[in-house]
Amino acid sequence: MSTVWTVFRKELTDAFRDRRMVMVAFVIMPIAFPLIFAGMGAIGAKKISEKLESTLKLPVEGAERAPNLMAWLRQQNLEIVPAPADIDAAIRSQDEDVILRIDPGYADSWRGSEPARVDLVFDSSRPMQSGTTIARVRRLLDAYDSQVGRLRLVARGVHPAVASPLLVGNRDLATPDSRFDFAQQMIPYLFILFAFIGGMQLAIDSTAGERERQSLEPLLATPATREAILSGKILATAAFALAGLVVTLLAYLVVFTYMPIGKGGMSMNLPVDALWKLFVAISPIVLLGACLLTALAAFAKSYREAQGYLPMLMFLPMIPTLFLMISPVKTQLWMLAVPFLGQNQLILRILRKEAILPVEWAVCLGVGFLIAGLVWFVAARLYHREQLAISG
Amino acid sequence: MIEIRDLRKSFKAKTGTVTAVDGVSFTARDGEITGLLGPNGAGKTTTLRMLYTLMTPDAGQVLVDGVDVARDAQAVRRNLGVLPDARGVYKRLTARENIAYFGRLHGMDEATIAQRGAELIAALDMADFADRRTEGYSQGQRTKTAIARALVHQPRNVILDEPTNGLDVMTTRAMRGFLRRLREEGRCVLFSSHIMQEVAALCDRIVVIAKGRVVAQGSADELRAQTGEANLEDAFVKVIGTDEGLFA
Repeated sequence: MSTVWTVFRKELTDAFRDRRMVMVAFVIMPIAFPLIFAGMGAIGAKKISEKLESTLKLPVEGAERAPNLMAWLRQQNLEIVPAPADIDAAIRSQDEDVILRIDPGYADSWRGSEPARVDLVFDSSRPMQSGTTIARVRRLLDAYDSQVGRLRLVARGVHPAVASPLLVGNRDLATPDSRFDFAQQMIPYLFILFAFIGGMQLAIDSTAGERERQSLEPLLATPATREAILSGKILATAAFALAGLVVTLLAYLVVFTYMPIGKGGMSMNLPVDALWKLFVAISPIVLLGACLLTALAAFAKSYREAQGYLPMLMFLPMIPTLFLMISPVKTQLWMLAVPFLGQNQLILRILRKEAILPVEWAVCLGVGFLIAGLVWFVAARLYHREQLAISG
Repeated sequence: MIEIRDLRKSFKAKTGTVTAVDGVSFTARDGEITGLLGPNGAGKTTTLRMLYTLMTPDAGQVLVDGVDVARDAQAVRRNLGVLPDARGVYKRLTARENIAYFGRLHGMDEATIAQRGAELIAALDMADFADRRTEGYSQGQRTKTAIARALVHQPRNVILDEPTNGLDVMTTRAMRGFLRRLREEGRCVLFSSHIMQEVAALCDRIVVIAKGRVVAQGSADELRAQTGEANLEDAFVKVIGTDEGLFA
């Protein structure tokens, strides 16, 4: 046990004297991640409000056939411009998001109180770029449609309510905590990723790096057992990852609390009791990551080879998120037993302030630590290989 | 005391099995310096690696102070001070911290570690650089740090793999003095070298290894008598069968 502590202390001392490693883990990552998320959120919010409120240029073909409609649209903050000659080409080349075509028979139909035809030309396969604009134009046309329809009914002595047999009301049961925003949605991912690979530098450096610098052979010639040396290195990796996670989370909270970010309220409210629950929930991932990284570093023949496995490891925590995107399902007990997926669910529920049953905690933590233990065992087997210490 | 009996080790290579050590037997006694001499690739490092339990022999037995390496490797490592072929030191720690780390791994208490560290730093003439981080050390300073680290726990048996490799003349001379001191303290010193002059100058007993086998052993005088050569250098060439790799 004292060997584990000795190795643990030495590895952390060594790591914290590595200025580059400390810079990346405690300065660059904690600043970069929240800023990227905040920036993405701010740009998104700004873009949406711009498209909703700013003056929209709407190209219209045959505007002269429907002067009343055009006048009404202008009142709704739309600027009517002449449509390009080739409407389809303009849409395909993304020069225009949406073009309104007034049918040549529009005026005749209008006068005859027949439905007058207008066409919206757009490309629905690009919802990110043009979705808001299309929806805005369509909503305006619908409003004009129902407004004129009502006036016609009134003109004929019919109460307009007759044409509205259904009154649909909306009652949203989401609480302010469960309807969380972009910033909070990123928290499970941030948590899992940082917990999982936050110690990668230390893990690779303390095993693959130690071998490459030829200090592993003397280390293994001491009476310390390989299990104790391995455990010390794994715990140091875990501690480093945890420290990086704490710093990143603090930076994240600061950024999202104090940065003035667009509309849509990026309020963050993480009470203290939720914070410690988050760290308990993530603890198996911290250990699993440390064991897995150390096992990989022991398996790899060189520092570079070990680094080559990192993209694969970064992808691993994303799998459950992708799975949930493809088939969103209700939380079930078995899901809490799946690494990453279980933590993802648990973190989401902590953020939503939902109650978590003791059995759910037990399953998520129990299975998580069990899997971490299995990976520790694999790492120990790798540490016993003869080739481990032989660098040349 | 170190006893090695009929040690064998082979490795699988792409071209087939390579036998690195093929039946090596010798004894290194307390209060003596035993030199393992052989050309590069003779199997010296592999023999030593089996001795300090980094590798498992395919066959044969290693006893350190009567303890079988196969039975209690940890007890054996406790009684060994090892300067391996790989002598990397932790570059973000000072020499003193490097020494202290190994002292802790040997289960020593902090007071003893500090005292022993100071002794070794004085004995190896390391005071000038002992409290500087080892990054940027010269080869000699690194080797001294590695030796001090290996001897922090006052081991009965000291194993050094090519201890003077890459050292300048002055440092080599100091190193030889240090090895003689270890002998005077009654320790069993076993070191390997491919440099004949060095072995001849230092060793009480010489074990000559070539192609994984012991081809001759004894004192310098005994070796001269065995081969009938008056010159030690000629004697070595004669027992090894070639002078290749011997005078690097």
